[in-house]
Amino acid sequence: MSIQTLRQDWLSNVRNDLLAGLVVALALIPEAIAFSIIAGVDPKVGLYASFSIAAIIAFVGGRPGMISAATGAMALVMVVLVKEHGLQYLLAATVLTGVLQVIAGWVKLGVLMRFVSRSVVTGFVNALAILIFLAQLPELNPQTAGVTWHVYAMTAAGLGIIYGLPYLTKAVPSPLVTIVVLTGVSLALGLDIRTVGDMGELPDSLPVFLIPDIPLTFETLQIIFPYSLTLMVVGLLESLMTATIVDELTDTPSDKNRECVGQGVANIATGFMGGMAGCAMIGQSVINVKSGGRGRLSTLTAGVVLLILVVFLGDWVKQIPMAALVAVMIMVSIGTFNWGSVRNLREHPASSSVVMVATVLVTVFTHDLAKGVLTGVLLSGFFFAHKVGQILRVRSTSEDDGRARRYHVTGQVFFASADRFANAFDYKEVIDRVSIDVSRAHFWDITAVSALDKVVLKFRREGTEVEVIGLNAASATMVDKFGVHDKDGADDLLLGH
Amino acid sequence: MNKTIDNDNKVLACVDQSAFAPAVAEYAAWAARRLAAPLEFLHVIDRHPTLGTDQDHSGAIGLGAQEALLSQLSSEDEQRSRAAREAGRVFLLQLRDRALGSGVAQVDTRQRHGDVEETLSGQQEGVRLFVLGRRGEAASADAQKALGGHVEWVVRSMQRPILTVPAQYREPSRVLIAFDGRAVTRRGIEMIAASPLLKGLPLHLLSATDAPGRHQKTLDWAQQTLRTAGFEVTAAGAPGKPAAVIDAAIRTQGFDLLVMGAYSHSPLRSWLFGSNTTALLRATAIPTLLLR
Repeated sequence: MSIQTLRQDWLSNVRNDLLAGLVVALALIPEAIAFSIIAGVDPKVGLYASFSIAAIIAFVGGRPGMISAATGAMALVMVVLVKEHGLQYLLAATVLTGVLQVIAGWVKLGVLMRFVSRSVVTGFVNALAILIFLAQLPELNPQTAGVTWHVYAMTAAGLGIIYGLPYLTKAVPSPLVTIVVLTGVSLALGLDIRTVGDMGELPDSLPVFLIPDIPLTFETLQIIFPYSLTLMVVGLLESLMTATIVDELTDTPSDKNRECVGQGVANIATGFMGGMAGCAMIGQSVINVKSGGRGRLSTLTAGVVLLILVVFLGDWVKQIPMAALVAVMIMVSIGTFNWGSVRNLREHPASSSVVMVATVLVTVFTHDLAKGVLTGVLLSGFFFAHKVGQILRVRSTSEDDGRARRYHVTGQVFFASADRFANAFDYKEVIDRVSIDVSRAHFWDITAVSALDKVVLKFRREGTEVEVIGLNAASATMVDKFGVHDKDGADDLLLGH
Repeated sequence: MNKTIDNDNKVLACVDQSAFAPAVAEYAAWAARRLAAPLEFLHVIDRHPTLGTDQDHSGAIGLGAQEALLSQLSSEDEQRSRAAREAGRVFLLQLRDRALGSGVAQVDTRQRHGDVEETLSGQQEGVRLFVLGRRGEAASADAQKALGGHVEWVVRSMQRPILTVPAQYREPSRVLIAFDGRAVTRRGIEMIAASPLLKGLPLHLLSATDAPGRHQKTLDWAQQTLRTAGFEVTAAGAPGKPAAVIDAAIRTQGFDLLVMGAYSHSPLRSWLFGSNTTALLRATAIPTLLLR
């Protein structure tokens, strides 16, 4: 890392980075509180986490200008852990998550992202938006104590300000105005509605280093490891997807493996500072880029300003009505959702749409983004195997005045097309000799080779002599480490010998 | 090594739209004429992708925010790139016409996207001599700084001779060679002897050292080598720090081209103990030919 890069990352865009970081910090506060509530912990856990993750990732992350903090995706994973074992286990799980992420970065797991198709990414993003929205519903449920018609009116007014104010001025963050106005109205009218203060403890000091208060036993590890594993996967998925989105928006590259390690370092430190695990945030990163943030300074500013505001204005933050937070979170949910993907449902190939929708459904019903993505990746794999399996043709010509037949096999033979391959031969034909020319086919796996064996056996049982031509070339692709791609003639070998 | 492509062994003049461009063009044309080499003007368009320009601080994201932002940012980039491309083309054409007018046989222009460092490393192959201004556009605002950040980087990382020039052109007539007896300098002497670039110009070898006579043997050798190659050479030794000695010689004796070997130490060592090359580059106001 040269001085040149450091300067580029930190100081090339100072004014815009500072302003954008400020805008982001103001939007981060309601999010951090909302996600703490989802996870079932005091708002201070999410707020400390957001500060610590944003401030640390600014230095160690691989994608300048991306915002990381406490997130909904991660909060959803930890709900049960917090409910059954309490906060201290969450902090320990956060540290372990970080350790796993650092390892993932070192072994360069980031490359696995290429198996996550565009449709899965879209599904992930949409599911996230839906989950953020759903998490707001308890605050709008008439059965919840303190939810009166005032809450609906305030939420509607909040959304009105958020989307209406930018038409008048883009100089001030409209979510901030929403929060200030709604808090003012609520205090002026003395409304008895739910406020942030009702949700639990807020930070009253700067975060301090503390070791999670858990027994260091194997049982503890057994409890937290599954959660940490899921948190690691979800955190890295969202971070790498967000990094890709920011790469695209700013047309600059990022270091994905450094980002994995960075997320890990940030989570380790956060666990020791009493914060919950977090990752990159799609909505906030879009807000940052939109506000002009490009460099690492924007991320650092967001974290530091957040902490200063919360610690020094804590008494005011307590008074913020939940309705204002709900309005901001609905905005984040709307802004995160990929509306183009709904329009494209009909135009895109059915298989892509199925992958996207399946990812969304599995995620929304399990509240686990890792399961959703796994479903999407597996489905993409199935569909791809099915499609490639179609690329197989078997032609035949009769030779030697009807005494022999020659089969020409072209295309891909593997587990998904092996049956079609075996069924393409006419075993009942009365004939002396059969030759099967596979030199223009690829035999990708053991299933393909055993299908060929079966074909040969069947012909032999009919008393037909069988000759297979070009098998060596055809099955060269079967060797897992074939490594022909970088040798001379690799193209010939892979593209039809 | 000896490829016969026409564009090979060219003089590459790195220009940007700063006050140095005309002088860079003149010196490059001078070098190209003397070397009978093709001349290429290179303009690098760095569109500063890390610079945010948007004034929207509303922080509100609505329907399709990400797609809308992507299309807005890319169309802004598109407009900027187009404007920069056109301006750069016109600018390069002016320089080309001037160079052709001054008698260079073969002049070409090229614009590339990216940053200066990356572009020059990529272009290094086939370049005989780099010519660049002592400060570029990026450093122009800061007049105190005698040496642009890019320049130092280029000098460090390129493996070709580099001519750094001031903002005013004056045809070189008296050449000062900073001689310290190191391997890089001795190789430099051989390069000068073999090259047509300085043919016919009087050369003065100056050795700055605290121990008089320390370099005498190599100094004699250098003088001999250059004489054999047909140069008119004088030599002298003076006590003191190289930067100060050479600076004084330039001021009092009216040299208008300085030649020296560049950066024989690692960047870390230079950073810790300072570097003669950097000190000299900063101190002198005349064109400096750095030999690698």
